[in-house]
Amino acid sequence: MPPSYWCGLLLQKRNSTFPAKRKPKQIMAPKLQDFSLSVKLKYVKLGYQYLVDNLLAFFLIPIIIALFLESLRLSPEEIIQFWDSMHLTSLHIICSLFLIIYTATFFFMSRPRTVYLIDYALFKPPQSLRVSFAGFMEHAHILLHDEPKSVDFQMRILERSGIGEETSFPPAMCFIPPAPTMRRSREEAELIIFSCMDSLFQKTGMRPRDIDILIVNCSLFSPTPSLTAMVINKYKMRSNIKSFNLSGMGCSAGLISIDLAKDLLQQHPNSNAVVISTEILTPNCYLGKERAMLLPNCLFRMGGAAVLLSNRWSERRRAKYVLSHVVRTHKGADDKSYNCIQQEEDSEGHVGIKLNKDLMAIAGEALKSNITTIGPLVLPASEQILFAFSLLRRKLFNPKLKPYIPDFKQAFEHFCIHAGGRAVIDELQKNLQLTAEQVEASRMTLHRFGNTSSSSLWYELSYIESKGRMRKGDRVWQIGFGSGFKCNSAVWKCNRDIITPVEGPWADCIDRYPVHIPEVVKL
Amino acid sequence: MVSSAMEEGLIYNIKLSSIGPGNVTVPDSIYEPENMDLAMKLHYLRCIYYFGNKAFEGLTPLVIKEPMFVWLNEFPVTSGRFRRTEAGRPYIKCNDSGVRFIEASCDKTLEEWLETKDDAHEKALVSSQIIGPELSFSPLVFIQLTKFKCGGTAVGLSWAHALGDAFSAARFMNQLGKTMDGNGPGRPIALAQSLTKSTSANIQPGDVEDPLSIKRVGPVGENWMKVTECNMNTFSFNIPGTQLSHLQSKLRREGAEFSPFEALSAVLWQCIAKIRGRGPKVVTICEKGKKNETDGTLGNGLNVSVVKAEFPIEEATPSELATLLKTRALDERKKIDQIMEKEQGLSDFIVYGANLTFVNLDEGNFYEFEYRGQKPVSFSLKIDGVGEEGAILVLPGDKNVCEGRKVTAILPENEITELKDELKREGLLA
Repeated sequence: MPPSYWCGLLLQKRNSTFPAKRKPKQIMAPKLQDFSLSVKLKYVKLGYQYLVDNLLAFFLIPIIIALFLESLRLSPEEIIQFWDSMHLTSLHIICSLFLIIYTATFFFMSRPRTVYLIDYALFKPPQSLRVSFAGFMEHAHILLHDEPKSVDFQMRILERSGIGEETSFPPAMCFIPPAPTMRRSREEAELIIFSCMDSLFQKTGMRPRDIDILIVNCSLFSPTPSLTAMVINKYKMRSNIKSFNLSGMGCSAGLISIDLAKDLLQQHPNSNAVVISTEILTPNCYLGKERAMLLPNCLFRMGGAAVLLSNRWSERRRAKYVLSHVVRTHKGADDKSYNCIQQEEDSEGHVGIKLNKDLMAIAGEALKSNITTIGPLVLPASEQILFAFSLLRRKLFNPKLKPYIPDFKQAFEHFCIHAGGRAVIDELQKNLQLTAEQVEASRMTLHRFGNTSSSSLWYELSYIESKGRMRKGDRVWQIGFGSGFKCNSAVWKCNRDIITPVEGPWADCIDRYPVHIPEVVKL
Repeated sequence: MVSSAMEEGLIYNIKLSSIGPGNVTVPDSIYEPENMDLAMKLHYLRCIYYFGNKAFEGLTPLVIKEPMFVWLNEFPVTSGRFRRTEAGRPYIKCNDSGVRFIEASCDKTLEEWLETKDDAHEKALVSSQIIGPELSFSPLVFIQLTKFKCGGTAVGLSWAHALGDAFSAARFMNQLGKTMDGNGPGRPIALAQSLTKSTSANIQPGDVEDPLSIKRVGPVGENWMKVTECNMNTFSFNIPGTQLSHLQSKLRREGAEFSPFEALSAVLWQCIAKIRGRGPKVVTICEKGKKNETDGTLGNGLNVSVVKAEFPIEEATPSELATLLKTRALDERKKIDQIMEKEQGLSDFIVYGANLTFVNLDEGNFYEFEYRGQKPVSFSLKIDGVGEEGAILVLPGDKNVCEGRKVTAILPENEITELKDELKREGLLA
């Protein structure tokens, strides 16, 4: 990392005022007389960016040209004379050669193995599990007949949630009253996971016996035998498969699984890994009346994703993405962050997930930590220097100066923000100063599929692909939040142009999107 | 509503859920019922289709529900809920709330049930819910699937009459069978986005008398059911084809042929007159209307007419009554429309049971509801919300009763036993 960023990091830790509110980045408001000035400044900034980002090229190209011209100037005899004057013996030459070979080998061996994402498959719920707003409200009204305030609360949440009329509930939750049983939870898990796996095998041509690593993450349902064992049993996978079942890790567990797969793929050459991210809703339907615990009922919906990763060199042509970075941030050491999402019993003994009111603030803090770490990895040098200068200025001269927010739009072409709820997306759009188009994938996924927890990032990626916006070389930033409180990011680079139409859950409805989602939907 | 069958534990394992259209209906779509629909709003059809074990063999409830979401795409109105305009006129908001779906099990086999069934038991196979007390949370249609021990299934349809008449309900169910076969659904009707009927422009001054065929009740407020002073019970019996033709020939006079409906109605009219001792002199006849023949939409298209007798009924012969029914029926639909228009849909009326009502449903294609190629082995229909004068329904006969008819009588409970005796005397009942 450049030294400027070490300073930045040290100073950052003491600086707690990463502002929640962002003013527009423009130097001045474009009034008529200042318009030409702002345009000039824009060009100066562009020039600066080109210069700093390609600094090495700017230094090396003149030197190479000079050397080349010099060598042209010298005659062949003069070159031979120059070579002889160095008095190199064969020992020197052989040692130098070995040194070069050793260094090259060491360099290539110590590089991390590239992790390719070959393809992924998403769960598309059948129409028979569709939940309409009016149907949801009617069920809520019947179940909580004696609690009109709770029913009212749910209605207000639904109206402002940004969720559409085509999301799905598992069958057990469609009953009045909901009938969560172990058997139905397994059925939901089988429905989602097997459908994703079948689709993945069909898309990639991979056979179950070729899978070396299997990771399943499902936060709230952890039966015995595990979901991983369920998959291995169904598809008759090999006995030396490395399987991991992650539970309890919240909505950001999808990226934790990717991180685990990445680490395992460093250890095991020539391997394929399948990561299954899902959330099984059946066992977690909240049957009480506490408002803070009714919120997940309103927002969570059925969804799942299966991702095929590989480190085989033979896959480098057909892989869709290459994994660049995974950055994980855990704020659990802070009590407030730890307690903001808690699964507990209410006063009547019903188990539910309680969401604290300061969730947004905590999410903002976690995000700040995460991007502090990811910034140096992805931002171009020009942005990093500007940010470091801005920090130094604020620390040494005037703390009241507004901080420089690095322009992440220069580092990434696409953003996938966990569709946790409209508030999460709004907050991140504000914090990172993203345009409406950049958060479109997140908003539309929330509208079409609801909050599908850890798999929502993959639905968003599929949206971008289905819209035909994914080109070779594009970089994607996936940001997930989860209980703990965790903020995890993954950066992918697109390996090949992805042409439409894309097979997936968006295939039959992508033409309807984007839709305008009103602030409040009147039921 | 707990029926005696449920109390006895005959029906158990009851699960409620909702089904609705798989496609999203355009937001803010509405459907405005016609005047005739609102006149019938206090009535409910309760139909039961009995299927043998081949129809639903090996199907889990989830698999049964899946094509229903495709089926309901054609009828988004049935998944809506009633609201009232500012003026108070009811309309349906098509918000995909859904149709209530009930699953239940029964310990008897289908044969045992069909042998021993009576009105009280059949109540357990179909929902007896009404619209209200909250209009916006009251489903208009309930479908109940009861599985018998042998694998046979009863499909119970509870249908708000405001949506349409029995012929519409039959068409609705038949479409499910067609959807299962892959033929359908058809395109749904285009729904309006704004209200058009609620303006109060067309009030005609001057007196429009209440038509004879309907009776003003209430006001019932938001509980759409007329409370009768006595319990109304149902009693059904089959008339084989041979017996029916014998009856028709008995009534034939001066070369005038009577249809099975006219013949049966005449006989029953006289029986009831004998029981009551003093009439009734005015009866209502409901028959299939032209709308049902041409239009594929749901709605109330029955021809409603009244017949007034000038002579005492108990002394008349059935032939005379049949002739009256055939020739002297006065169409009341226009009058009903006018009175409803005047009242702006705000008042509450009943049609069935305002007078003794004879409903001709024998052309109803209830037996065309084929589930996976299987026709129902039996069908029963009754109407809830019938007034104290009672109603007689003439339905197509059971599958094994060729060319016959099924008659369902809905009368005050004290008249049912007497009717049975009278029918035995007439030789219509064994």
